[in-house]
Formats: sequence, C-alpha cells, structure tokens
Amino acid sequence: MTPQVLDVREMSISYGSRVPALLAVSGVSFSVESGQCLGVVGESGSGKSTTGLAIQGLLTRDPSVSATGSLTIAGTELNPVIERGWEGIRGRTVTTVFQDPMSSLDPTMTIGRMLTFIAGTKAESLRWLEEVEIRDPAAVFRSYPHQLSGGMRQRVMIALALARRPALLIADEPTTALDVSVQAQILKLLRREQEALGCGIVFVTHDLGVAKAMCDDVVVMRNGSIVERGSSARVFGTPESEYARRLMESRLTMATDRHRPVGLPEATVVNAMVESLNEGRAETATTTVDAVTAEWNARSLLWSDFAPADVGEVSVPPGASPGAAPIAALEFTDVTKSYPTGGGISRRKTVLSGVSLCVEKRESVALVGESGSGKSTILRIAAGLESASGGSVHRSDVDADAVQVIFQDAGASLTPWLTVGQILTERVRNSKRGGRTSARDAAELVGLAMDRVSLDRALLASKPGQLSGGQRQRVAIARAIVIPPTILLCDEPTSALDVSIASTVLNLLNLLRHALGISVLFVTHDLAAARVISDRILVISDGQIIESVPSENVSSTVSSDYARRLLDAVLA
Amino acid sequence: MLSLPEIKRLPAPIGLPRLRWPFSIGETIAVASLTLVVILSIVGPLLSPYSPIIPSGAQFLAPGSPGHLLGTDNLGMDIATRLMVGARTSLFAAVVTTACTATLGLIVGTIAGFVGGWLDTILMRITDIFLAFPGPIVAMAISAALGASLSSSIAGIAIVWWPLYARIARGEVRRTATSMHVEAARMSGSRGIPLVLRHILPATLPTVAITASLDIGGVIAVLSALSFIGLGTPAPAPELGLMASTGMQYLLSSWWIPVLPGLCVGVLALLCNYTGDGLRGALRSRGV
Repeated sequence: MTPQVLDVREMSISYGSRVPALLAVSGVSFSVESGQCLGVVGESGSGKSTTGLAIQGLLTRDPSVSATGSLTIAGTELNPVIERGWEGIRGRTVTTVFQDPMSSLDPTMTIGRMLTFIAGTKAESLRWLEEVEIRDPAAVFRSYPHQLSGGMRQRVMIALALARRPALLIADEPTTALDVSVQAQILKLLRREQEALGCGIVFVTHDLGVAKAMCDDVVVMRNGSIVERGSSARVFGTPESEYARRLMESRLTMATDRHRPVGLPEATVVNAMVESLNEGRAETATTTVDAVTAEWNARSLLWSDFAPADVGEVSVPPGASPGAAPIAALEFTDVTKSYPTGGGISRRKTVLSGVSLCVEKRESVALVGESGSGKSTILRIAAGLESASGGSVHRSDVDADAVQVIFQDAGASLTPWLTVGQILTERVRNSKRGGRTSARDAAELVGLAMDRVSLDRALLASKPGQLSGGQRQRVAIARAIVIPPTILLCDEPTSALDVSIASTVLNLLNLLRHALGISVLFVTHDLAAARVISDRILVISDGQIIESVPSENVSSTVSSDYARRLLDAVLA
Repeated sequence: MLSLPEIKRLPAPIGLPRLRWPFSIGETIAVASLTLVVILSIVGPLLSPYSPIIPSGAQFLAPGSPGHLLGTDNLGMDIATRLMVGARTSLFAAVVTTACTATLGLIVGTIAGFVGGWLDTILMRITDIFLAFPGPIVAMAISAALGASLSSSIAGIAIVWWPLYARIARGEVRRTATSMHVEAARMSGSRGIPLVLRHILPATLPTVAITASLDIGGVIAVLSALSFIGLGTPAPAPELGLMASTGMQYLLSSWWIPVLPGLCVGVLALLCNYTGDGLRGALRSRGV
C-alpha cells in the first residue's frame, strides 16, 4: 500500500466573527497517496481555494479564521489555523505552484539565486532547470523573473517547488494564466515530474478540461462542501450529482451545439427566443425582430417597447434589407502597427503586419489567437483607442455611438465609485441618440437595458465592488447596449468568469446581437467559445491573420498547423 | 442566470461596510487630544474672563497662580487665554494654507497630467522652478515683501508649497487616466472636464487629502517660525511664534513665558501629524 501523504477529515473553515459563522469550507474529507493526483474542482466561492490554502498552512496568519476537523500531512497532525508544527512542513514537505508566477517569484533575485537557495549547489540548480525542460538553463539561471515568458516562469516555479523533493505538491490553478498550448506542456511536465518523484499532488482548478487531463481522482466542490468524488474518468464521464452534471454541460467543447443556448438551459423563454431567432435568420431583419417581439414583448426586452422616436432610429439598424450589397460594419485594409522600443530611434516592435479583415453588418466574427498575437491590438484599433501605423480602417457608421467595447476585466472597466445607475445613465447622456432625452426616458432606457441583461433593477443603486463577477460583466454589457452600437467589440469577456457564468454571458451576447442586430468582433484565446459566439473565426498569429474558417465546422476545415495546435489544446 | 434551486445561497457579504474603529490606540489618543484642543481653542477664549490682548493682572505670575492657571506674561496678560487664541489662529491658518496649496496644486497637476503634451511640460517645468528654491527662505522673502501679517505668511507658504501637490496630483491623474475604467468611460462617450471630474479626480483625492492632513502639522510649525522671526501679525497679537520670540528675553527669569507657547506649537504639530497618519491608515485600509 502506498503511503498516505495527506488526510483531511471533516475539515471546516470559517472566516470572520459573524454569527452564525460563514463557512467557507464545511466538513470536507479527502486523502491523497504518494503518486496520486487529486483534483479539487469548483467555481468561485466553492471553497476550493480556502481548502488549498488550509493544506498549505497559509491560513495561520489571519486571526479571523477558525477551523475544525483534522488535517494530517505525511503523518504529522496539524491545525490549519495554528502556526505550531507548520515550520518543518510548509515549503518542505508541502510545496506549492501558484497561479501567477510573476507575483510569487522575487523580482529582485535571479532565478539562479532563488533556486540555489533551495537546491544547494549551482550544478543541482541547473539540473533542475533542465529537468523542467528549459532549453537554455545557463541563461535562465542568470535571468530575473521579468525577463522570462509566462510559461518559462511557471516552469521555474515548478522547479522551485520540486527541488525540495516534497511529499505533497499543491498546484493552485497553475495553468490558468497561461496560453492553451503552453498549458498543455506544463501539465505534461507536472505529470512526468510527479511520476519521477512520486509525490502526491493536490490540483486546485476551476477548469474541468484541465482537471480531466491531469487528475486521477477528483472532488467537485460547491458552497464549501464536496458534492461529488470519484475517479476522474467516472466523474467526468457519468457524473452522479446534479451539480457536477450541470457543470460538465456548461463546459464548452468543440462538440457544443452552437444553435442553442450553451450550458445549462436557462429559462425556457430564452431557449424559445434563440430558436426563433435562428429559424428567422434567413428572413429580413424586420421579420426576425417581429418574431422576437412576439416572444419577448411580455418581458419588455425589446427596443420597440421603447418609443423609438425618443431615442432616434435604434430598433433595427438599416442596411440589412435583402438584395442590397452588404456594407461592412468594420473593415481593416492592410493595417500595420508597431511600437517604438527602448533601444534607439529606429528600433520598432511590429505587432500587426498587414491585417485585412471585414465584419459585415449583423455578422459575428471571432478573432482567435494566443497572447502576443496582436488580437487585442486589432480590437483597440477598431475601438479607436489606438491608431494604426499604416493601412486603413473603415467603419460603416462613423459616429461615436457606433462602437462599444466590452473588456475582459469587467470589474476594472467600471468606475468603482459610481453606482451602476450612474454608469448606465452617463452612457445614455453621452450618446448623440440619448443625450437629449428627458431624465425619465433615460431612466426607462437604463431600466430596459438592465432587463435585457437579466439584472434586477434594484442593483442600479449598487457599486461595482458589491457585485459578483458575472453581474459586473452584465453591467458592462448593459452599458454597451443601452444605446445599441453598430458593432460590439468584445475583448475576452468570458475568460475571467466561471464556466457556468461564462456560458450564460455567451448566451446573453448571442441573444442581444440577434435581437438588436449588432455586429460583433469577439477576441478570445478559446476556440470553443469563439465557435459558439461567432459566424466566422479568424485565426491570428504573430500579427497576421493566417486563416478564416466558418464556425459551423471548425474542426474539419482548419488547415494551418497553428490552428490545429489551438484545436488540440481545446480537445485535450 | 443558473437555475439551480436546490442549492441554498450563502448570504453574500456585500453592502455592509465593516464597522471597525480604524485607528490604533496611539492614533486614537492623538485624534481625541486634537479634538479636545480644537474644542478648547474655540470654546476656551469665550469662557475665559480675560482678554488675550489686555493686561489682566500682575506681571510675571508663575503658572498655578490663583486666577491665572498658566501665569501671566511680562505685560500681565493671561497666558492660558493667549495660548488658546493662538492655537485657534494657528490651526485655522494652517488649515486655510493647506487647503489653498492643495487646491492650487491639484488644479495645476490635474491639468498637466490629463492634457499632457507641451502644456504638461510647461506646467511641470514651472513646478520644478518653484521646487528648486529653498522653500522656507522664499516664503520668508515673500511674506516680508508683502508686509508682516498673517495673510502674507499664508501667501508666502502657499506659493512655495503647491508644487508638491501638483507633482502628486499629476502622477495620480496620469496613473488613473490609463486605467481600464477611464478607457471604458471614454468608450462610453465621456470627454474632457466631465471625464476628469467623474472618473479620474475621485481617485486622486484620497492621496492629496492624506498628504494635506500630514502637512498641516508642518504648516503650523512653519507659520509659527515666520511669526517667530517677526513676519506674522505684529505684537501684541496672541500668536504662538510671536509669543515665544518676545518671551525669549525672560527665558531665565520667567521660563514659562517663551516655553509654553513653544511647547504648544510642538504639541499641535505632533497631534496633527499623528492624526494625519491615522487618517492615511484608515483610508488605506478601506482600499482607497
């Protein structure tokens, strides 16, 4: 029998002195043996991170935390909230690979110094760097963390964690911040190292795909409790609990049905609406909107409910009549962009080299690429936040209301000291179409926008900090569509959200773009999400668009190696 | 939203600000003492039976004398009354001075930071020129040139002190202007002054307010210094610096005449500093 390295029995953890206590983790039990990889899977607020912190002994500093139950690591009984006993364990028997290697590596020390500190000698350090498949160990040994790429930093982090030869390795979302192709390499590396060292791994993640690829066994957590446990093949194949089943369903894969709302079925009315929209797609715009109106009139989710005369022509954008040649909502012709770099006058870094793309009216185009590919730069140029160095950018509507942006980090994109109501009203007031409306009409518009994104109007009085991540993203969407733009630019709007929330946001965007006839340019690194939201996918790499494929059958039509690799990463 | 009715949602810890006393014990004492001093300096002179500028008893009475708690000075004026009025003047003048300098600096710094370009360059070089001069000496020169009075001391200090705030405000504005929410506000159509007032300035105010509250103590000391060397309101005004300087000749015979006002300046400055420090901590802990 392999020795047990971690045993957690009925562990409960609560924060604060609130009565009754707010249990972050309630009665969780699991164990890990040497050579076993246990996935702790859950969405935000599930208690997975608190569990992870507790078994690393990182909750002992906070006097407001209390815990019950038992925790045994490599035969030593420990209390997750009391410092005694942890000295020889933390960072020795238990080591950690954190999510963000940049903030967990000391920026003032070279990799070599950090590693030698743990490994003892330089030779041993270099061996570890080789072990984690770093190509030029000697150069990395001399580097500072900021000089390395994200993937390299995470490899260094793994070397640092393994050089102690721990009995237990905690991997706390180690690949979340990395590109998909790098993610696969890091997972493979972790797996290989684990086999070599025989340590146990607790793999904390929100990403079901990663957990499936990496873990032998998983526990699924929700609201502080374990709702399902078992071998990873079993849990992911035939989940028993309702929650796990729904969680699996909301995960986007290349096989997800793009013609229905993704993830969990929302209220049936949403289903009905999307179906009617998809059926009506071939019809003229008016028919579609009429069909939608019929479905949604009761919930006053349509612009036609609001007297259009007051806000100008907002119900149906013109130009969608059949027969007429479509005018592109956004057109890039041979756009280039380069930034001056520090070294000398003539040194410039090219970000975009000759990008031509076109988003038709009412079309949704996804731009897929990894970090550094230039996809965000394209979006920023389209938004007018940056100007192109060369080439031309053409929009069908040139007025300021024609373009709206939804940013990745909704929390940061909302001014923290203004209320949701103030933020939305300001958007109405600032627009040409809504600027002259009376205060009552503006309030009505704002209320409608809240309805459209399924947010309670009571939240208008809240500040962004009081909302959840999903709610914040809905507010950002509400701001973008309160005065409907011609084209909506989305910069990875779902990548910071939980799977179930992400799928509802995708559904919402899909719904709104059909209902309001908005063109969408959706920037993402996730092919599966791109497939659901778009009609067409553009693959971008190194500042060039290398492929354009219809979203309907991505898997069979992609031809470039790069796109294949992105695809493989999703499938894994 | 997800329709998962079988799961109870935990009460979300939102909307309720954590009602915790934000100051440490030392800071609490400072805040309490400062409050006491402020109340004393406002109410005290009204309750005192003596005028601060009319002799009201025998000369050179030592502290603890009947009827004169802190004694009398060389002219027989009640020191306690004069200290309370002096403290009031000092505090008031320091607050006014700091408010003027902070506002001036905030306006200059915000314009420089937001507009950028050549205007930024010009404004910041002017700021640099002011910073290059030795502050107290320029303040002395200005208030001497304007004629000895409290308002000329305030003007002198304001002129040398604002560049500090301009620098801070400019930095904060530039930092905030590149943040995501300002970009998003631009995308939603905000421009110019409304953009600055609604989306940028509120982020810079706490830093400026903290700096200002820490500066009040320093301004009290500098104002007293100017009045000590005779650039404040002329005698017999009850001003702490002036009281200390005219009392210097009696240091050996009647020590309380110069020492008490000097001590008063020190304590006031110290209390203001501690309070400012506490305020900074309190604002920081609220995530400002």
